[in-house]
Amino acid sequence: MANGKPKVGIFGLTGCAGDQLQILNCEDQLIPLAQQMDIVDWVMVSSQNDRTCRLDVAFVEGVVATERDLETLKEIRARSRMLVALGTCAVWGGLPAMHNEVPREVLQREVYEGSAVHFLDTVEALPATHFVPFELTLPGCPIERHEFLRVAHALLAGAMPEFHMLPVCWECKARENLCRVVHFHEVCAGAMTRGGCGARCPSHAVACAGCRGPLEEPNYDANITMFADRGISWVEIARKMSQFSAPVWIKQGLEKEVRDERRR
Amino acid sequence: MSAAGRSIVIPHLGRVEGHGGIFVKIVGGRVHEVNMDIFEGSRYYEALLKGKHFLEVQGVITRVCAICSAGHTVAALSALEQALGVVSSQRVFKLRGLLTLGATIESHALHVFALALPDFLGFDSVLSMAAKYPQEVTFALKLKQLGNRIQELIGGRAVHPVNTLVGGFGKLPRHRDLEEIRRQLQGVREPLLGVVELAASLEVQDFAARPTVFVALRPHEEGYRFRGSTLCTSRGEEFPIAQYRDVVREYTVEHSHAKHAALASGETYMVGALARLALWGDRLQGAAREAFQRLFPHGVQDNVLTNTWAQLVELVHCVERGQEVCEELLGWPEEEREMQEYQVRAARGVGALEVPRGTLIHEYSFDDEGIIQSANVITPTAQNLANTERDLRTAVERLLASEVGSEATLKLKLEMVARAYDPCISCSVHVTCL
Repeated sequence: MANGKPKVGIFGLTGCAGDQLQILNCEDQLIPLAQQMDIVDWVMVSSQNDRTCRLDVAFVEGVVATERDLETLKEIRARSRMLVALGTCAVWGGLPAMHNEVPREVLQREVYEGSAVHFLDTVEALPATHFVPFELTLPGCPIERHEFLRVAHALLAGAMPEFHMLPVCWECKARENLCRVVHFHEVCAGAMTRGGCGARCPSHAVACAGCRGPLEEPNYDANITMFADRGISWVEIARKMSQFSAPVWIKQGLEKEVRDERRR
Repeated sequence: MSAAGRSIVIPHLGRVEGHGGIFVKIVGGRVHEVNMDIFEGSRYYEALLKGKHFLEVQGVITRVCAICSAGHTVAALSALEQALGVVSSQRVFKLRGLLTLGATIESHALHVFALALPDFLGFDSVLSMAAKYPQEVTFALKLKQLGNRIQELIGGRAVHPVNTLVGGFGKLPRHRDLEEIRRQLQGVREPLLGVVELAASLEVQDFAARPTVFVALRPHEEGYRFRGSTLCTSRGEEFPIAQYRDVVREYTVEHSHAKHAALASGETYMVGALARLALWGDRLQGAAREAFQRLFPHGVQDNVLTNTWAQLVELVHCVERGQEVCEELLGWPEEEREMQEYQVRAARGVGALEVPRGTLIHEYSFDDEGIIQSANVITPTAQNLANTERDLRTAVERLLASEVGSEATLKLKLEMVARAYDPCISCSVHVTCL
């Protein structure tokens, strides 16, 4: 920590760069924040980066989808004191992990038209947290700016940030929105999903898709029963709940119901 | 230079979105190979969409890329609504237009000030540039923030919109919020024109200039617009977007996870702000017209390095046009929500629009239950990659011939060429035809 400023690196594995963009989107707070750190490695923003020095804090977004991603991640871990996972991809796998049960060859044939694709470096998409330990995880697709700022300021002060672990559903009730399940009979992941977004989607009359990833120990069974009781088909429940890589067993657990329903 | 040859390698290109590099091989003093290596991982978005309902498409496809999330949203909704036979209301059409303007302001502000301008002013990042140009950087961030405010107001979130639905919007903006946006747009106009003056004082080099074919959508109405239904080339050809597969030929190359594209003639082409100005710049009005004349006194030349200035002209246009659209939207009575009814049917639809980096095309087909059978996304960056390699080759040949100096200088100049396209590599690694 030369000159008292922590050395910081910001990295993206495979992904949409949305979490790095959210850091840039901190606009009026960005420059004062950047002045308190020594951002030495951020390839999205700088053309001069120190790719090897020790880092006090490293932020990583994205999934591991190539062998190269995995190497990069391990290198970052080895040189960082504190590693922070940014976004649902890094924490849970997010959308890229949605079809991990489908072999990559099948996906390749579809996307690259069966042409010779032996040159592709591609592995099953898994969250960064699957491979190396992280000191802190901050989900969201994308992360919320106010949460990132909370993390950054806490770490600068030498403390660990604390977040409430309430569901989106709780924040939605606090905003007095009409319930998407009770009133509109939709599949809404709000009761299973970690809050912090202020129930953004239901506040726009759109059901929660679960983009912030699951709470600790969500009650999947009760939620699925609640949807089914309102006449929503098993096919739709399984499809909507698998959006943000809810555990694979949700889809697998519903296989029998989905099959029986198709037969009817 | 030895006859055995040498390589120029930029392993990881900085100040662009996503992961790519540049590889040049020189043998016997001649440029042997020039590659834009794209090693961003594949996420197979189009394949992931198969089996989903069309109502879930927007929430998935917007996540191809954060910076372009509003563009992917509008393109997807246009394609799906075209398939369903939904003609969106004037208000929904205008609101999506305003969302596109907001996204363009955000994206262009980021590229012009934070990614490209450091090259012209001699810095390695916007953060180091802030020490010498605090006013400009503060203004740039303010402008970018305004672009995000617009996206938040219309789309519900600055990145990956949630409020944008097939048939309309979950929630319409309040008049007081539209008035606030209009006021803020008015407020950035003067300082932005100051930046145009700063840009006009900077020299743009022409070491990568070479004859270029430009492609852009014909605006849907008289004026400089980002939506349209036919694709035009600078050679005077014009095609309906439904025929895009006949116009844009895609192919795979070994050094890139993104496909490349060329015209049916085999020629590479450029899409983006410079292409739009080349084709439709004469339609600009007001201060945008003046900015165009100031930065392009001899009209658009075949020099990709001027793309950054073309984006600056478009920034002026978006700021002025945004105020007009707010004005038009304020003419309607305030309402909570607007949704068009429609019948689900088996269909196929194509949608296109001009996003910050160029023409974006989406195509979907679904069955009579609305389940997606195929999806195809053609992104601007994938269309530009082959052209970028040609420009890089020209640049290397010229720079070697003129003994440019150190290898570091040469590399910086090559990086500038790649950055001028404002490549969005996340977007580019998904192209498909099913």
